[in-house]
Amino acid sequence: MKKYFAIFSLTVKEYFVYRLNFILWRVRVFINLLILFFLWSSVFEKNPQFGSYSKDSMLSYIIYANIISNFVLGTRTPEIAGYINDGKIINDLLKPVSFFTYYFTRDLADKAVNMFFFFFELALIVLLFHPNIHLPKNIFFGIIFLINGVLISYFANLLLSFIGFWTTEVWSPRFLFMMLLFFVTGSYFPLDLLPAPIFYLLSLTPFPYFFYLPTKVLLTNITAQQFGTVSIYQLAFFSFLWVFITWYLAKFAWVKGNKSFSFWGR
Amino acid sequence: MIQVKNLTKIYKTTVKGSSFFSDLFNRKYKEVVALDKVSFEIAGNELVGFIGPNGAGKTTTLKILAGILYPTSGQVNVLDYFPFDKKRSFLKQIAFVMGQRNQLLWDLPALDTFQLNKEIYEVSDDRYHQIVDELTSLLNAENLVEKPVKTLSLGERMKMELIATLIHNPKLIFFDEPTIGLDLFSQEIIREFIKKYQKQYRATIMLTSHYMEDVKRLAKRIIVINKGKILYDGNLKEIVQKYSSTKLVTVVLESKIDQIKLSSIGNIISYVFPKVSYKIDRHLIPEKIDLINRLLPYMDLTIEEEPIEEIIKKLFSGKK
Amino acid sequence: MLNTIRYYLRLYLLFTKFAYRTVLQARLGILFFMGAKLVRFAFFFFFILIIFGRKSNFGGYTFNQAILFYLTFNVIDTAAQVLFREVYRFRPMVLSGTFDLILLKPHHPFIRILLGGGDILDLSLLFPYLLLALFFAFKITSITFLSLASYFILIGNGLLIATSFHIIVLALGILTTEVDHTIMIYRDMTIMGRFPFDIYKEPLRGVFTFIIPIGIMMSFPPYALFGLLSPFSYLLSFVISSLLFFGSLKLWDYALKKYQSWGG
Repeated sequence: MKKYFAIFSLTVKEYFVYRLNFILWRVRVFINLLILFFLWSSVFEKNPQFGSYSKDSMLSYIIYANIISNFVLGTRTPEIAGYINDGKIINDLLKPVSFFTYYFTRDLADKAVNMFFFFFELALIVLLFHPNIHLPKNIFFGIIFLINGVLISYFANLLLSFIGFWTTEVWSPRFLFMMLLFFVTGSYFPLDLLPAPIFYLLSLTPFPYFFYLPTKVLLTNITAQQFGTVSIYQLAFFSFLWVFITWYLAKFAWVKGNKSFSFWGR
Repeated sequence: MIQVKNLTKIYKTTVKGSSFFSDLFNRKYKEVVALDKVSFEIAGNELVGFIGPNGAGKTTTLKILAGILYPTSGQVNVLDYFPFDKKRSFLKQIAFVMGQRNQLLWDLPALDTFQLNKEIYEVSDDRYHQIVDELTSLLNAENLVEKPVKTLSLGERMKMELIATLIHNPKLIFFDEPTIGLDLFSQEIIREFIKKYQKQYRATIMLTSHYMEDVKRLAKRIIVINKGKILYDGNLKEIVQKYSSTKLVTVVLESKIDQIKLSSIGNIISYVFPKVSYKIDRHLIPEKIDLINRLLPYMDLTIEEEPIEEIIKKLFSGKK
Repeated sequence: MLNTIRYYLRLYLLFTKFAYRTVLQARLGILFFMGAKLVRFAFFFFFILIIFGRKSNFGGYTFNQAILFYLTFNVIDTAAQVLFREVYRFRPMVLSGTFDLILLKPHHPFIRILLGGGDILDLSLLFPYLLLALFFAFKITSITFLSLASYFILIGNGLLIATSFHIIVLALGILTTEVDHTIMIYRDMTIMGRFPFDIYKEPLRGVFTFIIPIGIMMSFPPYALFGLLSPFSYLLSFVISSLLFFGSLKLWDYALKKYQSWGG
């Protein structure tokens, strides 16, 4: 257990080596949040209601969604692809730690740092905009789906990095994935605002389960909930299904990659 | 061609503090004096060796002369220009070869880089073809120019780098550790090339190196620098006479002699039968030779100067 | 003078040719990148569509107007990327010491580190954006020849601002050893320009209009097109962009003096 704590604290330390870099990163996160708030505040200036959302419920959604997405998406896995490409990954393979667990610990550190500073940025936003934030509901299920989201994100990111076993073209697929992730997962607006057939199709992909589902569960009464034409039971099922699928694919790619890889590199 | 007077360069670097906040609000700086009132002059058609340990200020000097770095104080005049202004007519007359770094376009054949430089330096078509032919034959590299640079070995890349850098036939060339990291064979080729090039084109060359072999073979004049100060500026041969007080005497023995007798001659540096080497003070040479003649049956006797490496080392450590 | 222009034009074409050849070697990568950019474009387009589909708006603008703000942003942002893609590769050049080799050349370093290696592929996106922008511009009944002309003039002004920002990024790449992603800060700030600047409140709006002139860069051209810009604002925008431009050049000169060439 001690070794995991060491991995964790070392990862945290890495962030503070380049302080200016770190500060600018937080500024960028803050600006992104700021734009979202201004945007939606402006939309609600003319109309008090947007779909099934009032200004407060929309801003609550944005806050919850961004807290959860910052937590779920924080990851160090992109560096793996680079390590595979230049052979440095050998060092990690020789360590007496399971690779998957090792990187999960690093990710937890990343998420912790992210969350810590995000709360200050969020506090600033709340100070500026005074939104009426809804209190969370269904905390138990919210946490379950949150854990699912974290796992799906972790395995999907690993999978993307493992592409490095077969090609040096690692940045472009990740870039595409990031674009999709940023938009299709619901950080700009709640996915249930989409036309019903599109929402249905989306619910079959892993995207809503990163952070949209936990967010919605925490904000609404799920007992009688129908998300468009999709029932909450179906969403729950797919949430667990995608955890399994992404885990399986990542594991498969890892085993296959290790076998076929020749560990070149300087 | 080059006049440097009281050239000083001071680097300011930040020192990392102990905590996150001290670094942000209370930065501490450290000043490093890279060059300390350095002065020298170099005329046309000279090949000057510039030697010193790591961090002595060699590369800093060259970069100031080439206009890359801005001097903190002092006067620098190269080809009647102030280098940092980087005037186009100035840059067209100089070239800089940096060991282990190259300007060749990685994925394309070296020939493409040559053509790029032809355009950049505005070399005429005739002149371009002539120079490329001359340089490739000097380096025996005709078959390398059309291969993608990433497929070449380090030594081959260096050859291509040399041609690319000299396409415009510069009057003044800086070589910064040109043979570093190369195998002995390639090192030899580079040295030969620099020698022949200087002779044929009568360019002025400033060469820095760790390897004494480079300097010994190429330079008649050397400038020794350490910790930003010039320790010696003059003829290579004279440095031996000025700073060396001992000579190396090597005797090849006919038969085994007992250790005590051998030691009585003088300070033994090495003894592996049949060769024994002594370090002997200059002024004691005549009497020691006499002693050897009387006491040791030998087949061969050689008297050599102290190796230049030793002399330079002494200079660096501040001994006389 | 003409010779100098011809010289730099020839060099520009050569650098772009080489960059293009290198980029073409990663064909699958290109597909992913283009795909990703199209996804991003489509997303915001639909986002605006959804907002207006529900009879809402932002800033009090019509759908056509809002789309035009978004398209203008894309035109300027893409044009900047077509021209200045090389700036993204500057930092590794400084770290490896290759930048020294560029300083030694008799041409101005900008032709290599600012303009050399432009992104031809983004050019293929620029034209559709421009055409779409014109399409929606003509749907707006209040436009005149004059407003259209001032629209394009202010886009040019926006590109001048973009140039200044990129020069500042280059200078910072030399001056600080700490920041690897100065260019990303530029990107994250300019995305504020996706939507009409009206949605931002003071003092943020003021800061990002006059001090870091994103507002002038992205929102002023559409304002001009809709006839919302006073003559004073026109003057102000040119003054600010010129000040920024000359300031960036001064910063670059300062950066060169401070350059320590520690790479390699």
